[in-house]
Amino acid sequence: MHQFWLAVGFGLVTASVLAVAAVGLSLQFGITNYINFAYGDYMALGAYLSWEMNAGLLHWNIWLAMICGSLAMGVIAVLVNKLVLAPFARRFEKLFYILIVTFGLSLIILSILNSVWGAEVKHYTLKNQKPLHIGPFLLTIDQLIVAAVGLVLMVAIHLLLTRTPLGKSMRAMSDNTTLAMTSGIDTRRITTITWFLTGMLAGLAGTVLGITSASITPSFGETFLFVIFAAVIVGGVGSVYGAIAGAVIIGMATEVSAVFINASYKLDTAFAILILVLLFRPSGLFARAGKA
Amino acid sequence: MTAAPAASTPPVNVLTCRNLRKSFGGKVAVDGAEIDVPQGIVTALIGPNGAGKSTVVNLFSGFMVPDAGVVQLDGVDITSWPSHRIARRGLIRTFQLSRELQGLTVLENLLVTPTNQIGESLKNIYFRPGKVRRQERQHVERANEILNDYGLYGVRDNWARALSGGQKRLLELARAVMAQPRVLLLDEPMAGVNPALVEQIGAHILKLKSDGVTVLMVEHNLGVVERICDHVVVLAEGRTLATGRMSELRSNAAVVQSYLGGVLDARLDS
Amino acid sequence: MSPVIYYGFTLLFFFAAYSILGWGLNLQFGEAGILNFAYIGFVAIGAYITGVTSMGKPPQGSGETYMFAARLPFPIGLLLGGLASCLLAVLVAFIAFRRLRSDYLAMVLISVSLVMYDIINNYVPLFDGADGLNTVPMPFAGVLSLNANSFLVFFAVASVGIAGVMWLIISRITRSPLGRTFRAIRDDPDVISALGKSVFRYQLTAMLIGAFYAGIGGGLIIEFSSSFNTSAWLPPETFLIFAALIIGGLRNNVGVVAGAFVVPVLFTQLPKFLPDIPGHPGLILNLEGSVIGLLLIVTMWFRPQGIIPERPRRADQLIGTIRSRMRRGGEPAKVVAE
Repeated sequence: MHQFWLAVGFGLVTASVLAVAAVGLSLQFGITNYINFAYGDYMALGAYLSWEMNAGLLHWNIWLAMICGSLAMGVIAVLVNKLVLAPFARRFEKLFYILIVTFGLSLIILSILNSVWGAEVKHYTLKNQKPLHIGPFLLTIDQLIVAAVGLVLMVAIHLLLTRTPLGKSMRAMSDNTTLAMTSGIDTRRITTITWFLTGMLAGLAGTVLGITSASITPSFGETFLFVIFAAVIVGGVGSVYGAIAGAVIIGMATEVSAVFINASYKLDTAFAILILVLLFRPSGLFARAGKA
Repeated sequence: MTAAPAASTPPVNVLTCRNLRKSFGGKVAVDGAEIDVPQGIVTALIGPNGAGKSTVVNLFSGFMVPDAGVVQLDGVDITSWPSHRIARRGLIRTFQLSRELQGLTVLENLLVTPTNQIGESLKNIYFRPGKVRRQERQHVERANEILNDYGLYGVRDNWARALSGGQKRLLELARAVMAQPRVLLLDEPMAGVNPALVEQIGAHILKLKSDGVTVLMVEHNLGVVERICDHVVVLAEGRTLATGRMSELRSNAAVVQSYLGGVLDARLDS
Repeated sequence: MSPVIYYGFTLLFFFAAYSILGWGLNLQFGEAGILNFAYIGFVAIGAYITGVTSMGKPPQGSGETYMFAARLPFPIGLLLGGLASCLLAVLVAFIAFRRLRSDYLAMVLISVSLVMYDIINNYVPLFDGADGLNTVPMPFAGVLSLNANSFLVFFAVASVGIAGVMWLIISRITRSPLGRTFRAIRDDPDVISALGKSVFRYQLTAMLIGAFYAGIGGGLIIEFSSSFNTSAWLPPETFLIFAALIIGGLRNNVGVVAGAFVVPVLFTQLPKFLPDIPGHPGLILNLEGSVIGLLLIVTMWFRPQGIIPERPRRADQLIGTIRSRMRRGGEPAKVVAE
């Protein structure tokens, strides 16, 4: 039982990381209507930028590096959209063009990561490594901060979507882009802002993933991608709240599964859950009509 | 154009629905509709925008599943059947926006229509190529005749995406005809089409009727409806408002009201 | 023979193998419109199964462990590889194909590939984990008394022959009514459904045939290289094949061959001949992925139809010479102009 509660503790941390990543993906999908298959690599790029600031060129505190790395990733995401993605989305009606472009982007980013930073494992410079006993959980301060960051971000996103004019415009665009355009919403501006947000969240998620896994490699974002996809699909494609719910479910399940099965396969339980959902409730738990 | 069947023989309703209900999110699109489509004649489904007409077409053809209600084809309950199963029973639908198969030629658009083609089975492709070719030849002949009827024979080897808007409309109809339907569901076949083409399409529909096909068409052009439809069902706010002949409905106060008054008269002059 | 000749035959082999892989993905994606981002997983299964069924029990002291060991002759092993890939296709189709929307499906497919990678990497008893299989015997080497070099030449030529057979098989399909229905499904599955055909059935068929080709290609690769491990099949490998298809020209089998030459052969090999940038060894090779990705994006923008574009299929091409009443009597009676 003790093991179980430990796992729940880890599950909260994993769910937190996953939620940040999944929300980033969902927000962007809701606005642009296509999945960014380079998302895992966006996470990795953000993680490496933070690394450079933390353990590489600069020697900043990890949390400062995380924030700056995420902001940088947000800017990069906006640029990539402006230069590559938006033109393709405008020109080609069929979905597969833009999907393959994102797939290609994934390859480009991966090979840049390999070239600039090399394929060996890298680590962040972290200070607080001693785990603390907090109730039934055993977590380091860093892990707690990660969980807290995730929670704060979820609340912030919720407030953004429900209380601000920007959020309302985003929700309107997500429901029906044409209608939003004719209602006077500046869809281009919203799209740019969304890409900034998604890049930032991806960079953040990548960095915290690197912190909680204690290492980063060029392809570690890509190989995590399926866990994010599982969270998004289980929660219901197109719904930000579904993404959060999916993240909690998947995050918890993967960690708790490690109590029963070999820990090397804990991420694969995410896939098992995905299959179950596909078999019995393919639209996910909180699917929005018209998106899936 | 002949009148409706003699009063002594009651019309057989080939396609019917009762208590049909469908909502999307909070919005109710179809709210207890009741529709009867008599056999062998052309029935129109009219009504103001947002009345739920396209949703009804989707529900009839299996592209959506109703929240409640029953749809019957020849007395068989097809309410939750998938679209391809309904199509196999002879109910063929067209789409509001022409959906030509863009990566195929005009001729191929028709050739892809027949079901159970010999050439779609791997066994036959490798071991009975002669049979495949023979059936292809038959299909090509039939397709060519239909294309000729619809004035598309000259462009049969062109990409379907290269056709003009009007030609695509004709192709949509020609393709449905190739499927040898018993019941044809047309979703706004005249939408956005020039008057000369409206005449043509109307003539084609009447020819289908004389070939024994039952037609249900969603249509906004009430002049066309009066000219070629024998029976009209008016849908408003997801419910059946009235049925009858267009000439009768013109003086039906409730019907005129639902069209925001005046618009009904104006349209009839077209 | 000089090393250049062996290099040339190696390229020839990969040209043949990638053509086969390309035809398989072309049937799934180019013809039937299925965005199979897990394609390399199918190739891998074919490679592993062909490998283990020809290796027999793991040799003593090699440190390798794997399942499904058998000592079957090469052609049977190759077919088993193809069939194993088909089995995977069936599984995937029945679990994931209820959704028709391409990006949703692509997400699930790429997840399949990543999970397969994860499991095979971690579960060593399956296919020897990250080390992979390294002692795959060279087929026919004993019978024909070949050494490593002559085997290379022999197998490259044999693979071209096999590719030729695979070409004949696939072109029958793409030129048949079945191929036409596949293309129609790619264009608009709703229309096909509305005409009475089960979209799922056709997608399953396309997946199966494409998977078979993937498995055969994978089997050939492992037999040629005598080894195969997980580093050979991450998503970038799937991307390579997509790039080959799109640059070569989608939806036509000749375009696949052009693409197989240009991308996996030309573009992956070219960087080897460029001089290294001083101070950054290996940089050019690492950037190769970027170059291919960039090239694909540029091609999709400026020449989306590829090197060899698809041409409209005329009726007489489909069925041989046609003698319809229309043609024999000259022009038809009335052709109404629009």
